[in-house]
Amino acid sequence: MHRLPGFGALLVGLVIAHLSGCVTSTIQEVREADTGMESGDAVVVLGRRTRPTPGETEMDFISCVANGMSRGDNSVSVIDEQQFLDDMFPWFEPRTAPINTSDLPELINQPLLASRLDQMGLKYLVWIEGSTRRTDSAGSLTCTVTAGAAGCFGFLSWENDSSYEASVWDVKTGKTAGRISSEAIGTSYMPAIIIPIPLIARVRSSACSSLAGQLKSFVQNKG
Amino acid sequence: MSIRGLTLLVLLLAGCGGAKVAVPTDFPVPVVDKVPLPIGIYIDENLSSYTHTETLEGRGEWQIELGSAQRPMFQSLLEGMFYGHRFVDQVVGDNQDVAAILVPSIEELQFSTPQQTRSEYYEVWIRYQFKLYDNRGVLLGEWPLTAYGKSHKQNHGSSSTSLQEAALIACRDAMAFFSLQFRSVPVVKDWLAGQLGGI
Repeated sequence: MHRLPGFGALLVGLVIAHLSGCVTSTIQEVREADTGMESGDAVVVLGRRTRPTPGETEMDFISCVANGMSRGDNSVSVIDEQQFLDDMFPWFEPRTAPINTSDLPELINQPLLASRLDQMGLKYLVWIEGSTRRTDSAGSLTCTVTAGAAGCFGFLSWENDSSYEASVWDVKTGKTAGRISSEAIGTSYMPAIIIPIPLIARVRSSACSSLAGQLKSFVQNKG
Repeated sequence: MSIRGLTLLVLLLAGCGGAKVAVPTDFPVPVVDKVPLPIGIYIDENLSSYTHTETLEGRGEWQIELGSAQRPMFQSLLEGMFYGHRFVDQVVGDNQDVAAILVPSIEELQFSTPQQTRSEYYEVWIRYQFKLYDNRGVLLGEWPLTAYGKSHKQNHGSSSTSLQEAALIACRDAMAFFSLQFRSVPVVKDWLAGQLGGI
C-alpha cells in the first residue's frame, strides 16, 4: 500500500471537509393569527412524546431549533425545554401534556400556572413533530484488514428525508398562531478506493436551520 | 478478519451486555393546589432498596435500581402537594402532628427493549400500590397506580442511558398521575371530606 505524502493527505482532508451531498429544502407557513414579541417575552420549543411512534422527533433536533432561534439575527429568548418541563411539572409530561389548543385555557386559567407562566414571560409554545428517516440506499462497500494493509472498495449512496412541522400556540390567547413545516431531502455518497470518502448530505441540519429561521420571523411577525 | 466479521463480533458482544442503571434522584416539585393538611410518609426497606433484575435470553443481565430515588421523589412530590410533610419511622406511633400517613410500595416493574418489541423504544412500567393510614395507624384504604416511561433509542448513546431515561420518565409519570388524581381517589375523597368538611 502506498502512503500519501503529508501535503497530499492534507489536501485530501481539506477537500473532504468541504464536500457534501446536495440537500433540497422547502418551508411552508400557515398563519392563523397575528404574532409579536416584546421585551421580556419568551418562547419554548417542545417535542411531542405522547406515545411510542416510529417517527418521534429527535431530542437533538428540538435543541437545534431552540438554539437556532436564540442565536443570530432577530434572535428571541428561548426557555430550555427541560427547565420548562420541570417548572410546569406535572402539566407537560408525556401523558399529561395538552394535545390541542382547546386544552390550553383550562391550564392557563389556573392561578398557580398562570403565575408561573407570567414569571417565565412565556408568549409562545412551539410543538415540533416529525423526524428524519432514511428513504433509500444502494451500492456496496467492502473493507479488508490484513496484517500489513487495510483498504476499502465500493460505492454507497443513501437518501434521507426530513419532515417536521411546528405548531405555534399563543399562550395568552390560548389559540394556534400558525404552523410551519420544513421538508429537506438529500442524497449522501460514499465512494471508496482504499479510503472511504463520505459526502454527507446534512439533511436534518438543513431542516433545522430553515425551521428555526422561519420560526424566528414568524413569532416576531417579520418578513 | 474482514470489517464485516469484526462488526458482527462487536454487535454480538454488545448484544450480550445487558445494562445496570440507577434512576437519578433529581425530581421537580409539582405545581398543584396544595391539600391544606400535613401528611406523613413511611418508606420501608423494601421500597428504599428496590432493584429489579432480569436476565434476557441471549442479552445478558439487566438491572434497574429504583430504591435510592424513592425518598427524593416522594420528598418533592409531597412538598408540592401538602401544606407540610415528614418521613415517619413507623405507621403506628407518635404521628399526631400529621393528618394521615401514606405508605407507597412497588408491586411490580416490567421493562422492554427495542429488540424484544421490534420497536425503537426502551419502555418501563412500574405498578405502585399506595396505602393511606390515619394518624393512629388504622388503614383507611389503598389504591394502585401504574406508571409508564419510554425512551427512543436514537436519543441516547447506549442501552444503559436509554433504559435509565425510560425509568426516570416512569417515575415522573407516577408523580404526575399521583398529584393530578390524588383528590379523586375514592378513599382519599372520603378522608378529605372527613378532615376538611365542605372545603
